[in-house]
Amino acid sequence: MASLSEEVLLVVKKVRQRKQDGTLYLMAERIAWGPEGKDRFTVSHPYSDIRCQKISPDGKAKVQLQLVLHTGESTTFHFANESTALKDREAAKELLQQLLPKFKKKANKELEEKNRMLQEDPVLFQLYKDLVVSQVISAEEFWANRLGGLNNSEPAPCSNKQEVGISGAFLADIRPQTDGCNGLRYNLTTDIIESIFRTYPAVKQKYSENVPHSLTEKEFWTRFFQSHYFHRDRINTGTQDIFSECAKQDEKGLMSLVNKGVKNPLVDLLSLEDKTLDEGYGIKQALPSTSNTNKTVKESSNAAIIKRFNHHSAMVLAAGSRKNEVPADQASETSSTDGNSRDSDFFQPPVKKVCVFTVKLQEAIEYEDLQRESKQKTVALNLKKSDRYAHGPVPLQSQKYTTSQDIINAVNCIQHEMAHYKPNLTQVMSSTAASSAIAALSPGGVLMQGGAQQAINQMVPSDIQGELKHLYVAAGELLRHFWSCFPVNTSFLEDKLTGHLEEMLQTAYSKFHIWQTRRMMRKT
Amino acid sequence: MSWFSHYFCFLFFLLLTSIACFAEDEVNLLVIVVDVNPIWWGQQAQREPEFTLSKCLDGVMVMGNSHMALTRTNKLAVIASHCQDSHFLYPSKSLGGGGGAAEDTSSSRDGKYELLAVANSAIAEEIRNVPSKTEVRGNSTDTLLAGSLAKALCCILTIYSVYPELISCLGQVIKAAEDCALQYMNFMNVIFAAQKQNILIDACVLDSDSGLLQQACDITGGLYLKIPQKLALAQYLLWVFLPDSEQRSQLVLPPPAHVDYRAACFCHRNLIEIGYVCSVCLSIFCNFSPICTTCETAFKIQLPQMVKPKKKKLKMPA
Repeated sequence: MASLSEEVLLVVKKVRQRKQDGTLYLMAERIAWGPEGKDRFTVSHPYSDIRCQKISPDGKAKVQLQLVLHTGESTTFHFANESTALKDREAAKELLQQLLPKFKKKANKELEEKNRMLQEDPVLFQLYKDLVVSQVISAEEFWANRLGGLNNSEPAPCSNKQEVGISGAFLADIRPQTDGCNGLRYNLTTDIIESIFRTYPAVKQKYSENVPHSLTEKEFWTRFFQSHYFHRDRINTGTQDIFSECAKQDEKGLMSLVNKGVKNPLVDLLSLEDKTLDEGYGIKQALPSTSNTNKTVKESSNAAIIKRFNHHSAMVLAAGSRKNEVPADQASETSSTDGNSRDSDFFQPPVKKVCVFTVKLQEAIEYEDLQRESKQKTVALNLKKSDRYAHGPVPLQSQKYTTSQDIINAVNCIQHEMAHYKPNLTQVMSSTAASSAIAALSPGGVLMQGGAQQAINQMVPSDIQGELKHLYVAAGELLRHFWSCFPVNTSFLEDKLTGHLEEMLQTAYSKFHIWQTRRMMRKT
Repeated sequence: MSWFSHYFCFLFFLLLTSIACFAEDEVNLLVIVVDVNPIWWGQQAQREPEFTLSKCLDGVMVMGNSHMALTRTNKLAVIASHCQDSHFLYPSKSLGGGGGAAEDTSSSRDGKYELLAVANSAIAEEIRNVPSKTEVRGNSTDTLLAGSLAKALCCILTIYSVYPELISCLGQVIKAAEDCALQYMNFMNVIFAAQKQNILIDACVLDSDSGLLQQACDITGGLYLKIPQKLALAQYLLWVFLPDSEQRSQLVLPPPAHVDYRAACFCHRNLIEIGYVCSVCLSIFCNFSPICTTCETAFKIQLPQMVKPKKKKLKMPA
């Protein structure tokens, strides 16, 4: 249980739970109950765990309140104070009614978020199925790393979806249809209603104020369309319409927008003027006075329409750029492009203006893609003892110590030996040495441990060995003849070589080849 | 006589294939890198007088001759790896000029295949000069193996450009002295270059096991062998290392050794299996320390969150 530094919203004494007397506490984030006389809570449920609350019907003797959790468990509180049981329960119920939706959204939101993530990413879904459904890891562990951003109470929609803007013609889309007998039908869809609310927050406010207390929805919208607020010509401002206030607010907003002007220092709207050549083609004449007092009705209605259009466009743009705010926070909205904002700051410090100017100028003249690519900043590797790498995996052993005298002796000995070196290739080794080496290299010998233990002659049948021996001896004889012809001194030897011997060697080769194929065919 | 049938089967096969290959122009190049560290060989001469550098060189020559005798188009190169530098014993720069007289005498004497005679005499001539040319300084007593291998690779690449039909290259290292840890980086670079160029590196080790060469053989696909008997060097060379990679798949050869690929920690140079690696400079440590000593980056370890004790204040209703 966490420390009780949370705000306590409601305390109800004499509440029984499981036949024990105690006190019920409703706090900012949880509801808790502690038995009488003890200072700790036996029952504590955060609001997000509670799915719904139930109350016992009014006729029953016991006044009870039941909390059903998401897990299916339920806890029942029995209000046992004789006089105030019903009141207590109602107070608790109402408070819960207000609090639960707030937390419910959070819980739901988490679930929604999880569902959304699972639906969007099939790989994640598969992973979830494999790990959590088959109970390899628990769902909490699975979501522990993935829901990092959710726990901040950001009611903003996920940023990878673009918001849908408002069509400028949404009001015009509500085309009235004649209803037969002199009436008009307006078809309102939820989209249109939403557009109206987003563009004209004043209307939204009126809606929330009046519906469902004094007007039904249908009545509200009927009045809306009947009001001159909606219609083009908003001349009447004195009627008892609920929307007359809206009209006044709109005017105020428009005036503030106009006074604010455009903040872009590169655009100077005020220098644009219609410089028309008046009637008279430039000849100076006394211009007719354009004071407002003599305005014709037509002019004033034109002005009204134009004002209406401008306001409407400004509102549409403002609504499009305004993010979705929590309904309760409307008062704190400070979007400066909103025509209905209460405070418009006329005063801008000049320093800020200059900075904005340079920033705008830079934005206008530079393109990001044309800039040189910024190289990644790298950190240099700083090796202090790089000779360590050069040492091989030879462990440091004590080397055999040779004195310099030894070295000198050895070198002299070798020099002496090599100075008198003469190759003696006929006495390279003795036959005993050779045969012992061969024995070591044969299967089963000293060096052949781990290899094949059987000699080939044990695997080859003896008749093949015999035939091979004969072939070998014959070939050896031919080769002896061949080599004995060298050096070729006489023409006789030459003829013998080029004609006779070559023929013989070719015959020997083909004989061997035949034997080989015969043997191989026999095997297979 | 178990070895006999195996041996002559193989030789027979080789002979016949080499005869049949007259028309084809397969060029196989063998580069032998011999470790002629004078300090080790000098001490070896005192330890075992029967097997000295001369014997070793004889064995190498036999190997080279056999390789060249297999096919007319086979090529050979021999490099001697000394303490400070490495020399090409064959083909040598003085082939055309000075060794002419020695050539004639040996070739006319025993009717040897001329190329073999030339090679032998060149090798012998060059190796006589090597110890006298270079002087040994006390602080660098290790064989310059990485440098020699690099030279071998360059030689191979030169031959590549001259003979485009080069099929396979073998770099063979006959190593005597111990590994030098300072050559590690260069050595690994050479190995990786060889792997990229499909050059096999074989190793025949006389004295102590070399981890670097084991890795080299493992990475490039060659054979690593530590010889129990130095006297029979030639036999080992002919048996194990003479066949090229295609033929090796048909033969029963010593199985590959287990290679220790563990890294060494930077602080103690111990070989470790599990360690801490700095994510900035990739240096390896065996113990955790909050600051990497190589790049001086500070690392934070997340301590477990402190759980605040929950307080309970009860506001009694008024």
